[in-house]
Amino acid sequence: MLIDINAYVGHWPFQQLKYNTCEALHERMNKFGVDVSIISNLNGIFYKNTQSANLELYDEIRSHKRFGDRFVPFAVINPIYAAWREDLETSIKKLGMKGVRMYPKYHDYEITDPQSIELVKRVRDHGLPVAFTFRMVDSRQRSWMDIDYVTGTPKREWTMKNIIPIIEAVPDAKFMILNFASGAALTEEEMNTLKKADVLIDTSGRTISNMSSYIKQYGKEKFAFGTHSPILDYLSGMLRIESLRPDEADETTKELIRSGNVKKMLSSVL
Amino acid sequence: MSKFINRRKFITSTALSAAGAMISDRILAEPSVKEGSMSTADQSPTDFNLMREVAKFRKIDAHVHVSLGGGNLEYQKKYAETLMEYADRMKVDKLILSKPVTKRINGGADTSVESFIQHNNIVHEIVKLHPDRFAGTFTFNPVHHKETMEEIKRCVDFGMVGAKVYFQTKINDPSYYPVVEKFIDLNMIIHSHAEAQIGVGGLRMKYNGLKPAGVSIPDDFVDIAKRYPEAMFQYAHIGGGGDWEYMCKTLQNSPNVFVDTSGSNNEEHLIDFAVQHLGEDRLFFGSDNSYYQAVGKILASNLTDKQKRKLFFENFNNILRKGGNNVN
Repeated sequence: MLIDINAYVGHWPFQQLKYNTCEALHERMNKFGVDVSIISNLNGIFYKNTQSANLELYDEIRSHKRFGDRFVPFAVINPIYAAWREDLETSIKKLGMKGVRMYPKYHDYEITDPQSIELVKRVRDHGLPVAFTFRMVDSRQRSWMDIDYVTGTPKREWTMKNIIPIIEAVPDAKFMILNFASGAALTEEEMNTLKKADVLIDTSGRTISNMSSYIKQYGKEKFAFGTHSPILDYLSGMLRIESLRPDEADETTKELIRSGNVKKMLSSVL
Repeated sequence: MSKFINRRKFITSTALSAAGAMISDRILAEPSVKEGSMSTADQSPTDFNLMREVAKFRKIDAHVHVSLGGGNLEYQKKYAETLMEYADRMKVDKLILSKPVTKRINGGADTSVESFIQHNNIVHEIVKLHPDRFAGTFTFNPVHHKETMEEIKRCVDFGMVGAKVYFQTKINDPSYYPVVEKFIDLNMIIHSHAEAQIGVGGLRMKYNGLKPAGVSIPDDFVDIAKRYPEAMFQYAHIGGGGDWEYMCKTLQNSPNVFVDTSGSNNEEHLIDFAVQHLGEDRLFFGSDNSYYQAVGKILASNLTDKQKRKLFFENFNNILRKGGNNVN
């Protein structure tokens, strides 16, 4: 069974995307054998009022019965915008959202700002995960209108070190870390923080250049299948799992990464 | 890989129940649009076997490096083992190896003769480890004309099959002219690092991407390819992180510029867009040592199996054949 913990519908304002509707993603899932996708609306990254995007996603999932079977929606919440607490409650209690994705760089706040910590704590109190993404697109191809965290310049893309502080601030929350695309280096203390926390890292990111060694380093319970679709190709995240040799990962380990780990994370909210 | 019944079980117990059960149930039970007729989109997941797809296609990796960082031969030999492991895992028949001079000195390029000779020696030694799976390409800096021409002869005598140059000198710099003419005589391709990033190589330089001035951009390839229509150029890594739409649109009318699809960036529509703009005969599979993305992005494309065979193997083998170095 395959559960994709890192997918989207919606638009990217600087580049046309394909497969960016529930209909197209659903077809993609069928073609490549993916059972369930956790999705958010990309538009929520760009709308000032992210709740409009959450409502769009809610409506799109409701537009066809089959979508309710296959998509698990996560809300996009900006904790420095008006009425975000109400939006969070509405998203979870009325729209059926099962987690929250946060975008500090795009929404212009620091990951450990008081409101950010408060949002993570509130999501934690609902028993749901929060997701942070290293980057949405490769900064080297960014539009001149995109954010200016750029590889090779003093204002670099996020590394794992940039995400650790929120885990330290709310160590009992559930976290998804998506599109692991830049530096992995951590101090021993930071690595211990990551290992002790309830964290899932999806397999879409380019930093995972050797899946086997990352499993050894972080543990098999820390990874989950992800595509970062429709921005990244649909199969590289899957290839990191399926190309593992038997001496690197047995079927039990592969199944944990395909779906078992995320099932465990989400089942605990029941 | 997929068990639909398990998914049903999962979705029933998690996504559509729990705290938001009432609303979630409504998502399931009350679609706001009536269901249409059954289409492929209504079907359950297929039993897609990814590794069977990987094994289906022979492959030549037209852009792969020995370790770019190390000058120590023993270290390089160890790194070569990881290359073989990758090749076996992803069913790659042949790796076209290079070691361009990527080191920077005070922000600028290392332009020295000594560096390119040292790098070529390493490639030569590594190819000897697995001559059936590795082929070598050599690097140079054309501003050192005499040394470059001597190095071309030395490396061709080693059995190397082409060139790989970096950001020392733009590909359309006049110092390249005699080198390009030599490569026309050799029936070999010149593979050059390239970028299309704002603030790099002349593109919107007010953004300052902090790269050496000699980085080649797509427009530079158009220029040199027009000057030498009988020469063959390989534009490096449209997945190398730059603006691949800019690259493909710029290069679409330069039939002697080939493009490799390597690089760590594996955006979803990249391959299909490249085929639409460049055609199916000008694209080479390559990894630039990003092995999963290299294979994944092509398999995820909408190309036919015939087109995939061209990208993975045939197109670059046709280039090698011109110089008598093709893979059987």
